[in-house]
Amino acid sequence: MKARYYAGAAALALFAGLAHADGHQPFAVGEGDFNWDSYNEFAEKYDLSGQTVEITGPWTGDEKAKVDKAFSYFTSATGATVNYSGSDSFEQDIVISARSGSAPNLAVFPQPGLAADMASQGLLTPLPEGTADWVRDNYAAGQSWVDLGTYADENGEDQMYGLFYRVDVKSLVWYSPEAFDEAGYDIPETMEELKELTDLIVEEGGTPWCIGLGSGAATGWPATDWVEEMMLRTQSPEDYDAWVANEMKFDDPKVIAAIEEFGAFARNDDYVDGGASAVANTDFRDSPAGLFAIPPDCYMHRQASFIPAFFPEGTVVGEDVDFFYFPAYAEKDLGKPVLGAGTLFAITNPSDAAMAFVEFLKTPIAHELWMAQGGFLTAHAGVNPETYLEDSLKAQGEILLNATTFRFDASDLMPGEIGAGAFWTGMVDYTTGASAEDVAKGIQERWDTIQ
Amino acid sequence: MDNIAGTKSSLTWAVNLSVIFLVVLWLIPTVGLLVSSFRDRDQISASGWWLSPFAVEQNFQAKIPAGEARQDGEFFVIEGNIFSGGEGEVIRFGGARSNPTVAAAGETAELTRDRSLTVQENGDFVYRSPAEISRDPSVYYSTATPPDFSLDNYQTILFSNNMDIAFINTLTVTIPATIIPILIAAFAAYALAWMDFAGRGLLIAMVVGLLVVPLQLALVPLLQFHNSIGIGQSFLGIWMAHTGFGLPLAIYLLRNYMVGLPRDIIESAKVDGATDFQVFTKIVLPLSFPALASFAIFQFLWTWNDLLVAKVFLPSNAESWVMTVKIADDLLGSRGGDWGILASAAFISIAVPLVVFFTMQRYLVRGLLAGSVK
Repeated sequence: MKARYYAGAAALALFAGLAHADGHQPFAVGEGDFNWDSYNEFAEKYDLSGQTVEITGPWTGDEKAKVDKAFSYFTSATGATVNYSGSDSFEQDIVISARSGSAPNLAVFPQPGLAADMASQGLLTPLPEGTADWVRDNYAAGQSWVDLGTYADENGEDQMYGLFYRVDVKSLVWYSPEAFDEAGYDIPETMEELKELTDLIVEEGGTPWCIGLGSGAATGWPATDWVEEMMLRTQSPEDYDAWVANEMKFDDPKVIAAIEEFGAFARNDDYVDGGASAVANTDFRDSPAGLFAIPPDCYMHRQASFIPAFFPEGTVVGEDVDFFYFPAYAEKDLGKPVLGAGTLFAITNPSDAAMAFVEFLKTPIAHELWMAQGGFLTAHAGVNPETYLEDSLKAQGEILLNATTFRFDASDLMPGEIGAGAFWTGMVDYTTGASAEDVAKGIQERWDTIQ
Repeated sequence: MDNIAGTKSSLTWAVNLSVIFLVVLWLIPTVGLLVSSFRDRDQISASGWWLSPFAVEQNFQAKIPAGEARQDGEFFVIEGNIFSGGEGEVIRFGGARSNPTVAAAGETAELTRDRSLTVQENGDFVYRSPAEISRDPSVYYSTATPPDFSLDNYQTILFSNNMDIAFINTLTVTIPATIIPILIAAFAAYALAWMDFAGRGLLIAMVVGLLVVPLQLALVPLLQFHNSIGIGQSFLGIWMAHTGFGLPLAIYLLRNYMVGLPRDIIESAKVDGATDFQVFTKIVLPLSFPALASFAIFQFLWTWNDLLVAKVFLPSNAESWVMTVKIADDLLGSRGGDWGILASAAFISIAVPLVVFFTMQRYLVRGLLAGSVK
């Protein structure tokens, strides 16, 4: 044990000089609640001095700064340089660079659908053997993460391509504890209570919800999350999977019912800030601002765990704003379903260093290093939850780990033309007055044409 | 006799008014962008830019410490000032978030649970409660916030890491990508305009045809080609790409201009024994200066503003980012929510093109007219 420690320290001393100047390390090795053993073990196993790992992904700005810091530990452990570059238009860039033969070593996909597309064209390299078993054993709800990372290759054979790193929980309702407290509202435990609370707020002259679907070219996606949540809360997980795979048609009465469940909130002028007509026009980045207005423009906002980035400057999660689990119907007995999304690493251009990097992502320390910087959730069961920067993140992590059902964002799994096209525009049509049947039928027709 | 040329129309004022109206109409978006560039994201989402020069009445919340409560007879009382340190003027106030402006400054507001609150104009408050106060109560008040503009956005952009490199990279891309196509196109245009050879008409038709090919079609094959001949993603590659994408328009524009030059000059030069090269360098090129300049402006603006070609043909590391990529991928934040940055970035990035445009604009007009009117 001691010898191992010395070896690790020696390796560190050797490569400390190689660490990038801009990736300065915020956490000293060996200090804090981190799982440094996994780091030392990893550092001992690999010596990749002089090699480089090129990574591209969707994280830019602040998130890029955090990534650079977390990945700088890979450099200090192995001596290989990590060049991470983020792009605002990652989805297009990665396709262009992979097709033209200038792909980076690793790519971080925000949507499994895109990774599956590229895998089927032979543009991805399967992960090292045994990764699937490892994920099954080490991730919470491991099998579902394996399934989400497994795609057919160009010959139609299933291979494991994607390793999930960073997860978003979507089933959250954000609220202002102060506003709730002053008005005497309790946090609803069931969907029935949530609906009662919604009515109560209206009765007392308030507006319960802020909903905004605007997002430039992607306008409509927040509504797809709503519909997915409603699917999980009204139908069985098997039905949800069948819907994603289009084995259950988009215009099935079950799907239409879920769309109408969403409509019950979004198409009621009394329920949403600005009235139903404002829903499609309000930018999703601006819509949570209503929670903080004095007097409040709304009391609740359903959005994924990333939304605090768009709260007004200086907002403290846990004090000024908090969240509760978007509850399920008590009467339907579907447990506590959780909807989520996540980013996955896939190999676009294999090299020794890239393979080593995949191994690095399996160590708890790789996850903890970003957890401690905030804005990061993981399904890795081996991490120390104490390293989460904020209690709120820890609570979100617990929602994730305690979910009876975890399902991935359906629109990210559907073919791009549906999940990033017809479904979005269909939801905009629906919130602006089209009927759920017509919208669902239209989406199904589009799906039929691409099959 | 009203319609005699040279007499002043009595409707001049109508013309002037409509010109002013149109100019203002055209300027509104730009002015809005300019104003927004001095405000931060929260301000932009709180109020429109047209309200920004005025003081706005805004509601605020202040927490008052329950620990400072003292017993006064049968009441628990907290006294203090809601403005921490700073000065301010309370207009209205209240004790509940749902009704933050229930009373005017100086009045006493009755709150729930028999509590009462008095707030003076200068922020002094008295909070009375018949029962013990366990949690910090909140006081809500409205006050006029003066207009607030700052140069923070500009500072963020100008002094962010690697911005100097990005600026130099942009120049490195733009200047050769403007000069190379002009050089090639001028020769080609002369040949297509004044040299007789078989298939000239067909060549011109092809060039015109290439004008309508969208460059997006060529991105992947072109990059594949660059990779296979070893250029890869590099500055050389992007110069060639910009040259290729700019050439059809350049050749078309310059040929049409050159064809309109007086035949007599060129023929008399040839009679005097000038070669084609001499005619080109000594006569045609100097005469075509307006057309060359106007194309240079076009090409410069387009390569300066370009994001797509730069992302595809340059490596994706921070050292080879041009300004547009730097702004889009680094400064705008992970989900592009920083409108203020976007607005000020727009003004910073148009500074250089503006200089280029104003120094060369007289050629732009002449060049554009020259090709069309004969």
